[in-house]
Amino acid sequence: MTDSSQAITVTPTPAPLERRARAIDALTSQSSLLLGVLVILIIVFTILEPKFFSVATASNILTDWGSIVLIAVGQAFVIISGGIDLSVGAVIGLSGVVAAWTMANVLGLDQSVKGQDAWGGLLVGAAVSIGVGLLVGLINAFLINVLKIVPFIATLSTMGAALGLSVVISQGAPIGSANDFALISSFSPQWNPLSPALIVVILVVTVLGLYLHKARAGLYTYAIGSNAFAARAAGINVARHLTWVYALSGALAGLAGIYVYIRLGAGSPSSGTGRELDAIAAVVIGGVSLMGGIGRLSGVVIGALILFTVQSGLIMIGVEPDWKKVVVAVLIAAAVAAQVLRKSDGRG
Amino acid sequence: MKTPFRTVAVIGTLAAASIAITGCATTTETGGEPAADDISIAFVMGAESDPFFQAMKVGAEEEAAAQGVELIWQGDPANYSAETQIPIVDTVLAQQPDALVLIPTDPVALQASVDKAVAAGIVVANVDTRVEDLTDVLTFITGDNTDGGAKAADALAAKIGYEEGGSYEVVVGLTSPTATTNVGRLDGFTAQIEAEYPGIEIVDVAYSESNPEKAATNVNNWLTKYPGLDGIFAIDGTNASGAAAALEAKGLVGTIGLVGYDAYPDNVAKIEAGIFTALIAQDPAEEARLAIRTIVEFIRTGETSTPKEVVIPNVTLDANTSAADLAKYTYVAN
Repeated sequence: MTDSSQAITVTPTPAPLERRARAIDALTSQSSLLLGVLVILIIVFTILEPKFFSVATASNILTDWGSIVLIAVGQAFVIISGGIDLSVGAVIGLSGVVAAWTMANVLGLDQSVKGQDAWGGLLVGAAVSIGVGLLVGLINAFLINVLKIVPFIATLSTMGAALGLSVVISQGAPIGSANDFALISSFSPQWNPLSPALIVVILVVTVLGLYLHKARAGLYTYAIGSNAFAARAAGINVARHLTWVYALSGALAGLAGIYVYIRLGAGSPSSGTGRELDAIAAVVIGGVSLMGGIGRLSGVVIGALILFTVQSGLIMIGVEPDWKKVVVAVLIAAAVAAQVLRKSDGRG
Repeated sequence: MKTPFRTVAVIGTLAAASIAITGCATTTETGGEPAADDISIAFVMGAESDPFFQAMKVGAEEEAAAQGVELIWQGDPANYSAETQIPIVDTVLAQQPDALVLIPTDPVALQASVDKAVAAGIVVANVDTRVEDLTDVLTFITGDNTDGGAKAADALAAKIGYEEGGSYEVVVGLTSPTATTNVGRLDGFTAQIEAEYPGIEIVDVAYSESNPEKAATNVNNWLTKYPGLDGIFAIDGTNASGAAAALEAKGLVGTIGLVGYDAYPDNVAKIEAGIFTALIAQDPAEEARLAIRTIVEFIRTGETSTPKEVVIPNVTLDANTSAADLAKYTYVAN
């Protein structure tokens, strides 16, 4: 262990041992590990199907990633605060349906309206969609803070209510509204692999990352998730902060709802089916502890990217789609095992 | 300090209340006028959320009103499954209707319910799907999914401009590997291609799990993998919506043939825009009308002219279909 040449040298730079420890830390940090996994996946899929390595595939993956990373980031806030939000998938469906209904029936934007004449209406639709998500988030917070229902049950009930309502409003079928090529072309090839809608998503995620990791109020989330009792004793208004966290998760699901609406050109009640599990998977793969208090958004962002890389890759190489579930399950188990190992290693 | 939180609480309560109220309004689904000769017909369908059953409900209500019989419309709000359907059938039978129109969600699991109804002297008809043993069932009325799949193959081949000796690539978007309607349509599609269009190869299938965004993802990846793709068969309404969105986003409308299934209003509008080459539609309203007409005739006269098994063909809706026919086959809800 002792390195005699180092013992007698005094330098302003960190000692090599310390530097090495830091390098090991950086290499074994969750984000680096995840990036490594991502690169390996890309290499493997490219070997099996050379067409996988293309701008078109990157565009496909990022387009799918756009809606899920929004609810995964919301989910990360909730899980770091020690809770869980099962309602986000259903909220994607409900908010998209209500937005489409509003645009079609209140603003009168049917399919004959040209996209370039509908941007104003689309903004209204986006506001409605985010508003619906926000409302569900506030209901979640009310159930949790005031009625003292545990988050799992509280958000399970709003999930059911949101699913049911979206079917009632839409009668089960997608609601079309103003959507022609001009409007949908927010995903058009000339922006490859990005789209204006994706750029909005990236901006939102960046701002929330800075908030969670840099702002004092963001750090409250960790304090509450680590020990709500201690956080309260330290003067943090736990109920108010949890209200904000669930409202944020709901609003992000609403934003994901209008993103999916733009993508499909219609509000469909089943467009969020099962997405809450994708979000939770991304969060867990990203290194957030389900026990609360631990995790970084960078990991969640890459975790979501891994999910859709696996999905696209398996479709491209022509593997039975059910294998995606198996691969994702292995990734989740590996991610959690890595967390436990790192923790026992003293570097959690 | 408490004020913003209270505001939040009040908004939350109001919203929860409004959800509860709206929810309640849809749980009791009864229709029709009290009857002249007091015939009551229970109609237990698969899943309220499916536009197919919404359209069926319109037909059932129309015919019940026309015949002056009472209609008890029931079914699970969203789950198409035997576990949820059996208790619903039991509850409905406890109301002692004169007849039961059942869309069994499982041919074996619902057999006992049919036997129980028959034993209680209730006339039973099957619509869309059937129980295993039809001996005691008055009539079984269904759409022909296999024939619909074959029609889809014809429409796609026409769009591709199929010629002998040519070689063409198509893909099929499914919802799940086991859904019986999916299986029937895929069988019909595959058989027709093998028989009539040997140059067409089905290069891939994938599942959407009833989520249109996943259906769009599947198509996106196919378009990357098969740059020379000629056509897509989207086997149900969900896949049709997702595939249409994917082609629009990639600017490939019209260059790749897209044949969908189920006449959702939003999709019918996309035939005119050239996004769908064709849509294969069933006629759920007619299935329901015929079932109710048959039952009423049987109860009033002791016999019926409707055969034991009736197959109502699927129809192809395309750019040449008249506006009247498009309106007739679109799945409309009340």
